[in-house]
Amino acid sequence: MKGFKPSAPFLLLLPAMIVLAAVVVVPLLLSLYSSFTPFRLTRPETFFVFVGFRNYLSILSNADFWWAFGRTVLLLTIALNLEMLLGLGLAMLVEKATRGQRILRTLMMFPMMFSPILVGFQFKFMFNDNIGLVNNALQSLGITQDAIPWLIEGHLAFIAISIAEIWSSTAIFAILILAGLLAMPKEPIEAARVDGCTPWQTFRYVTWPFVMPFAYIAMTIRSLDVARAYDIVKIMTDGGPAGRTELLWTLVARTAYSDGRMGMANAMAYFSILLSIAFTVYFFNKLAAARTQIGAEW
Amino acid sequence: MDENSSARLKRRLLGIVYRIGLFLAMLTICLPGLWIVISSLRPTVEIMAKPPVWIPQEISFDAYVAMFSGIGKGGIPVIEYFRNSLIISVTSTVIAVAIGMAGGYAFARYRFRGKSSVFLGLMLTRTVPGIALSLPLFFLYVRLGIIDTHFGLILAYVALNVPFTIWLIDGFFRQVPKDLAEAAQIDGCTRWQAFWQVEFPLAGPGIASAAIFAFLTCWNEFALASQLTRSVSAKTLPVGLLDYTAEFTIDWRGMCALAVVMIIPALTLTYIVQKHLVGGLTSGAVKG
Repeated sequence: MKGFKPSAPFLLLLPAMIVLAAVVVVPLLLSLYSSFTPFRLTRPETFFVFVGFRNYLSILSNADFWWAFGRTVLLLTIALNLEMLLGLGLAMLVEKATRGQRILRTLMMFPMMFSPILVGFQFKFMFNDNIGLVNNALQSLGITQDAIPWLIEGHLAFIAISIAEIWSSTAIFAILILAGLLAMPKEPIEAARVDGCTPWQTFRYVTWPFVMPFAYIAMTIRSLDVARAYDIVKIMTDGGPAGRTELLWTLVARTAYSDGRMGMANAMAYFSILLSIAFTVYFFNKLAAARTQIGAEW
Repeated sequence: MDENSSARLKRRLLGIVYRIGLFLAMLTICLPGLWIVISSLRPTVEIMAKPPVWIPQEISFDAYVAMFSGIGKGGIPVIEYFRNSLIISVTSTVIAVAIGMAGGYAFARYRFRGKSSVFLGLMLTRTVPGIALSLPLFFLYVRLGIIDTHFGLILAYVALNVPFTIWLIDGFFRQVPKDLAEAAQIDGCTRWQAFWQVEFPLAGPGIASAAIFAFLTCWNEFALASQLTRSVSAKTLPVGLLDYTAEFTIDWRGMCALAVVMIIPALTLTYIVQKHLVGGLTSGAVKG
């Protein structure tokens, strides 16, 4: 490493910095500024009117916004936890398989290949009250006679969206946790068994700590992509019925592009950015801690 | 003896439960996709039928033919969307990987102050939800006159992909032992030569999978594309899919066919990279 200019890493990182500054940082500063103006797309002159915190104050008293905010947090909590559990279960099922593990692993990755917009569409199709697979199956099995209005009733729509979200992202957890399980040395498990641990204790105190960093990698990746739910909701319900499945992101899009109130939308967007950053920093720290715990270099 | 047989029975039962569990899990994973493929191949009458027709009675490729025969036949301009998607995804992938290689190399091979925080900073730029980013970009692009162009979307996608390609490529360079490049340098290579002739070929497969990953991100992206493109000249496939839902009567079969067209490249590419992708993301998670 000796004999090189100390600025080498800086030079190597420079292109990345420039692109990110141009496309992410500068536009974000611009949107931060415009969140302090009453900017409307239809009236460009309003871009230069400064109103201080008025947008933020009116958001604070906006019930729709807080519903959307709460709903977003609820969706993320439900989705991330279930994805984690299901991913863990799936990984352990596949790890136990003695034959055809390669095929199982490929099948397991299947949902990852679907873009969120496709996931949204496919579940919109399946949950269709009239011709959807779900209702058809329920009716054929004689469980119900009525067409259940999956995407038309508020709570059911929320459930349907959660299912779509979980279906699409469980694979990420499963794949990474499986990688952890496969990389794990077998001796500690055998030692635990010899020492008389129950299967649950072996899992809890031997397997789980080892797999945890992998789960946090999955969490970090997922938290970078939480806004994928926008695509799913947009195509499945578009925030409906009557705003019952409106998430932060769909609300931002509606305020900005349908109502043309850019300043207000930018103020809302900042809330959703902060939410995303909070998630990422949280899991990133967990990841770093888990890594040091098992002594990996970072 | 009695204890033996009961233990054997218990084990067999557990085996069966396990098989059923695995089967159900795989069914849940595969069914939605299969259902779309089946629906794209059967006549609309069957999709709409009440009571439902479970097993397709006749197979037809009409939906695909209609889709590729232009706007006139009730289809959407799939060929144009496909072309846009391809141009935008390939170009931005090439640029993002070039930038990502430089950045990833810096993280894998150099120690510098604030390394961890620079890395976190890069990742944070990726957390900005596409829709939140689209607001200022939309405004800027209108001003700069690059709204609804390939260039505008390529630029946005490069920025979208750079953090992740850096993460992945960093992981792949870490897996290449430092000693190899150092040995090459002792043998008279310059740093530059050592990189291209030793480290790059070794990390090559990993870099290829980072490229495919970046390609898929562009291929699948919707939130930004839906706001930064307006017309046939720049719309990508995911935005095109929405063309179908905008109408009151949804052409389910046509949508299914378009979905299949979209998923095939993604499916093939993901299958190729799966092994390397996991390796790159988890490198450094465990010592050794």
